[in-house]
Amino acid sequence: MNEQKPPKVQIIPPRTELKQRAVNFTKGFDINLGPEQLEELERVVQRSSDAFVRSIGHDLSETRQLVINAITNADLRPKAVEKSADLAYSTKALGGTFDYPLMTQIAKSLEVFLHGRSTANKRQLMVTQLHIDAIYVILASRITGFGTSIEQATTVALSKIAARYSDPRE
Amino acid sequence: MSAKIDFSKISFLVVDGDKISAQVVFDTLSYLGALDVRRVGKPEDAFRILRTQQIDIIVTEWRLRGMDGLEFLDSLRNSTSSPNRFVPVIMLTAHSEQRYVTTARDLGITEFLAKPFNAKALYSRLVSVITRPRHFVNTGTYFGPDRRRRQTPFDGPDRREDQKSKARGNT
Repeated sequence: MNEQKPPKVQIIPPRTELKQRAVNFTKGFDINLGPEQLEELERVVQRSSDAFVRSIGHDLSETRQLVINAITNADLRPKAVEKSADLAYSTKALGGTFDYPLMTQIAKSLEVFLHGRSTANKRQLMVTQLHIDAIYVILASRITGFGTSIEQATTVALSKIAARYSDPRE
Repeated sequence: MSAKIDFSKISFLVVDGDKISAQVVFDTLSYLGALDVRRVGKPEDAFRILRTQQIDIIVTEWRLRGMDGLEFLDSLRNSTSSPNRFVPVIMLTAHSEQRYVTTARDLGITEFLAKPFNAKALYSRLVSVITRPRHFVNTGTYFGPDRRRRQTPFDGPDRREDQKSKARGNT
């Protein structure tokens, strides 16, 4: 008989040391935070907002310059793509946290456009630059929230242009 | 009286190459009362800390320089030289599409938090890790927390019950 044995599965009981050590009824934060405590916690997150704006502002101008130089200098293109991809990821990751969801949207479009690329041609770098410029405008004008219909139309246009010039992907 | 969490009793390791992101997590944990929060930018440094110090919860980014967050998680869960295969890991990442969540889950992530995140979402992941520890499952192809988290009704045939009935019939 050639009956297959069922795979061995080991179930290991949950480790409860953390719970035993930290959960109590006298000290610490309620498991279910009230609205006021949540608001306070959110304010703690927002403390880093200025640092985010400074950091992204610095990265944007540096990356923008590199992309512009790469348009005329092919040797710089791999570096420009790598740096732009890093910028896209970090902006996408944190924009929304600091009430810049529009920045996250545009950064996501740029991230998708650069995904899997090690270099880019002239037109693709120009598309990259357009995204960077758009993020810069949001930051410089402090456009929080999703912006007006104009900003939304710009976001859609950027995604369309990114789709149009996505090939070749090298 | 409601139950509370004393974060000062828990040690954290934040693995994130992005200084602002790491700072946000650090500030949040410090505000909650955590006294032992370490920050590193690379998994190699994280392993160094894990080998020498007690760490209760890891918060890691997916996108890291060198070894990425997934490889880090894979090493933690599956390597024979792992310092702690059972340590809870919260993955904090802007890779939020379903396929990323599934991949991380299948490598043994404890909690997944998509960026951009807010304080409430981070807090709920911390609460979940601390107050609702899960079984660990060890099979030939998976080692990590039990991935079944939803109790969904199943209206198909109950094969186990069928087998039991057959066995009873044979006796």
